[in-house]
Amino acid sequence: MAAPLELYCWKGAWGLPSVDTDSLIVLAYAKFAGAPVKVHKITNPWRSPTGVLPSLKTTEKNTGSLSKPSNIIIHLRKQKYNADYDLSAKEGADTLAFVSLLEEKLLPALIYTLWVDSKNYVDVTRRWYAENIPFPLNFLLPNRIHTQQLDRLRLVRGDPTLEPGEQLEKELYYDALECMTLLSQRLGSQKFFFGDSPSSLDAYVFGHLSPLLKIKLPNGKLQQHLNSLDNLRQYCSNILVLYFPSEDREPTSHNVSVHSESSDFDNEPHKRRNQILSVLFALGSMLGYAILTGIVSIQRVPQAAIAGPQHTESRGEEDEDE
Amino acid sequence: MSLAAEAFVSQISAADPWPENATLYQPLGEDQILLSDCASSLAVQAYLRMCNLPVQVCCRPNAEYMSPSGKVPFVHVGNQVVSELGPIVQFTKAKGHSLSDGLDDIQRAEMKAYMELVNNMLLTAELYIQWCDYNTAAEISRPRYSSPYSWPLNHILAYQKQWEVRRKMTAIGWAGKSLEQVYEDVSQCCQALSQRLGTQPYFFNKQPTELDALVFGHLFTLLTTRLTSDELREKVKSYSNLLAFCRRIEQSYFEDSQAGSSSRGFSKGPSLF
Amino acid sequence: MGTVHARSLDPLPMQGPELGVHADDIEVPDVEQETKQEVLENKDVIVQQVHIDGLGRTKEDYLTYEIADVFRAKNLIDVMKRAHKARQNLLRLGIFRQVEVVIDTSQGVDALPNGLDVTFQVTELRRMTGSYNTMVGNNEGSMVLGLKMPNVFGRAEKFTFQFSYGTKETSYGLSFFKPQPGNFERNFAVNLYKVTGQFPWSSLRETDRGVSTEFSFPLWKTNHTLKWEGVWRELGCLARTASFAVREESGHSLKSSLSHAMVIDTRNSTILPRRGALLKINQELAGYTGGDASFLKEDFELQFNRRLIWESVLSASLWGGCLLPIGEQPTSIADRFYLGGPTSVRGFSMYSMGPQSEGDYLGGEMYWAGGVHLYTPLPFRPGKGGFGDLFRTHFFLNAGNLCNLNYGDGPGAHLRKLAECIRWSYGVGIVMRLGNIARLELNYCIPMGVQSGDRICDGVQFGAGIRFL
Repeated sequence: MAAPLELYCWKGAWGLPSVDTDSLIVLAYAKFAGAPVKVHKITNPWRSPTGVLPSLKTTEKNTGSLSKPSNIIIHLRKQKYNADYDLSAKEGADTLAFVSLLEEKLLPALIYTLWVDSKNYVDVTRRWYAENIPFPLNFLLPNRIHTQQLDRLRLVRGDPTLEPGEQLEKELYYDALECMTLLSQRLGSQKFFFGDSPSSLDAYVFGHLSPLLKIKLPNGKLQQHLNSLDNLRQYCSNILVLYFPSEDREPTSHNVSVHSESSDFDNEPHKRRNQILSVLFALGSMLGYAILTGIVSIQRVPQAAIAGPQHTESRGEEDEDE
Repeated sequence: MSLAAEAFVSQISAADPWPENATLYQPLGEDQILLSDCASSLAVQAYLRMCNLPVQVCCRPNAEYMSPSGKVPFVHVGNQVVSELGPIVQFTKAKGHSLSDGLDDIQRAEMKAYMELVNNMLLTAELYIQWCDYNTAAEISRPRYSSPYSWPLNHILAYQKQWEVRRKMTAIGWAGKSLEQVYEDVSQCCQALSQRLGTQPYFFNKQPTELDALVFGHLFTLLTTRLTSDELREKVKSYSNLLAFCRRIEQSYFEDSQAGSSSRGFSKGPSLF
Repeated sequence: MGTVHARSLDPLPMQGPELGVHADDIEVPDVEQETKQEVLENKDVIVQQVHIDGLGRTKEDYLTYEIADVFRAKNLIDVMKRAHKARQNLLRLGIFRQVEVVIDTSQGVDALPNGLDVTFQVTELRRMTGSYNTMVGNNEGSMVLGLKMPNVFGRAEKFTFQFSYGTKETSYGLSFFKPQPGNFERNFAVNLYKVTGQFPWSSLRETDRGVSTEFSFPLWKTNHTLKWEGVWRELGCLARTASFAVREESGHSLKSSLSHAMVIDTRNSTILPRRGALLKINQELAGYTGGDASFLKEDFELQFNRRLIWESVLSASLWGGCLLPIGEQPTSIADRFYLGGPTSVRGFSMYSMGPQSEGDYLGGEMYWAGGVHLYTPLPFRPGKGGFGDLFRTHFFLNAGNLCNLNYGDGPGAHLRKLAECIRWSYGVGIVMRLGNIARLELNYCIPMGVQSGDRICDGVQFGAGIRFL
């Protein structure tokens, strides 16, 4: 009973304890239930016991390690860390229903805006993951997740020819906006969904909404709508302040905001330097190749005969050219 | 349906009243239709009956391919074709028929949430049982799904559909579940519905809404379909208020048709009595 | 044409000086001196040996049929003629890049004094040739990869593979062709393919995956082909606005059919023939070898050409067909006939005639179409003898009808139905020949007899294709 549980999660950024929705759900629930888990924030999924993040390493022989948020929460409940203890049966049913609502209506749009929408993916998501995942995974993993998420959207919608674009975006965002409005209506002016103490539903809602709130995306339609729903915005900030106070002082948030504002100029000096270097390299290698194979030859001409042998030089070059 | 198409549809359809010859299309009732399609079709039929809109049920072997979204059932109203319960509800709303007008905001939020619960858990569980459980797939789903086609097309189509559904299950994380876990999920879902229903006649007290139609569609089909084992049926039966709920709706809205199941376009098992 | 080198025997003494005779065109034998020619023709020769040099993977026994005829030659001119014919036969097999014939006196121990050796020097085609094309068409680009393997097993079998990868669809085709040894006209082929097509006039998308085997053989003056085909057809709507009648046809079906085609072609060319006639009769029976579709389909094509004064040609053609469903199942939209467009009844939009529903054309079960053309060379004959010969002007009159029949009525009712509502058109245009396979047309058409629901294209209409009414 006293053996500590170890939780492996994605690292945090932008003021969030973690960048990944599932990790956020598990972290929030652990805080709400007061479970003494030892949190490892890593960026390499291969280092986790199950190969995916988040995952909970238990010391029990027959359970081993668990990976999905629902499984992790069930296990924590079994260990008597239950944030839903005080809920009535009806509230428990409501939890299931609203979690389904989140998964069906909000999660696809969240996946789309972070991983499928081209501008967001390239500017924000891929950049963060590429910078933070260790070599050599940082070349493979973001792209793989991108393809996986697009395939998942295709399968769930039942259309194998789906392409990211305005049409798909409109449909997904319409559902997501409706979902957020419904959540806002259900929350009303309460502090948490079921009274004054948080429950697993709060963990799920927090996990889905806080990335939208905190990650600054170039294409931020969902963000705008969420910001217009005051009670939800207040709700997320509340949870962050109460349960994850240390994250607010994350230095990376500064850099990221600076990045997003001056993204064009930020890499300017490097960009220019890289361009010049690459052009010089290309020229140098072409010249080297030409000299080595004899297409162009450099002849040393004695100083005295500069005017005369110019003809021979050029003729010599012509011969070489053939 | 896309947002632009929806707007267009609601503008155009709002002008015409509901015609007499509206038709609902689903796969063949006796030989072809499967559990999940039967449940969805019954939900739509229940909803339309609750709205007092007449609709004829027409069975076609290629209903799934005729549908614009690839899912059954779909209705052909005038010259519009609309598939799945969600869009159909919006379509009828544009024509001025709605069951959920009397709900306040919180209730509407709850209604939508519970509908998603049914879609997320019950429908996915039905698909899992049909296609990912080896016995059910081999004995029931594949033979039924491919019955209108001749050899070797029947095998190709059945395996293609099975593979597609299995991929979907993997994508949403259900592939690792065992059959017992899926039954457990269904039980949990029924428990949640039972809790919500309580002792009321319908989910939102006196009047049925689209949530009632959807729950009825799925639960009635689960109760009356013969699968490889009766475990699922017993689990659903154990919630007596849900059983009473299904009986109530069947008596109120489906009693005018014959007692036999064939007119409802699905088969397998008699009615609940 | 190739060259035939022949060293002839001196007519008088046995061992005389050697003369070289070069003949470039066997049909017109080289006339040297009267006496020599006469002697050459009359000289009895025996062909003792016929070799083929340069064979790699081709099996020798296969080629003996083609060259066997040479042994029967009786005199030198006969040898040259038969050698030339054998050379053409060898080239026709499609396995050699070039063939040269060398006729020489017999050498060696058992050489007869009037014996000849004929040697065919061949260069085989490469084992595998590939091609890569890119095509850009209606809002679609595609990459086409082709692979050809002639003479795979040594007996003129041919293997071809084509793969097309496009932005919207991919398709492929694999085929294997084997002629009968000694009788190239008899051959059989096996094909495996996947083809996708989009038909905007019906708002229909069709994907066919199929396998077919066919067997061709000549019979007296006609050419017959027997074919079995099994196709998995997938139909779908091209747009959300497709009519419900087309939507009802969506889905999968399997067609397994036996077909027979007979062709008699006495024309001098397939494109812009000047004389001759063509008769093609095609029938297809589906359903008795499995599958969902069940019908009997008949189709014929008739064409006459006749030269008139001043190098103009009068051409008349007649097409017709009918589709009889067997059993209660209605016919599928993919089996029906379509009419209209620059390649059939000109003046109407592509396949936009006949039964339709909300703007989508559903095709008909019975049709007939006829055309009368008068082809003349371009006025004032520009580019005569060269480029100008590719063009012709033509004056045409087309007529046709496409409808569904109620098979319960008698033949009298059928004829009456076909005769009413005839669509017809007339006009003038320019035709350009593309090689020997295709032709381009630019016409000015005036459609008449238009029925409600048809879509016309009056005025200028452009057409390209291989089969024109």
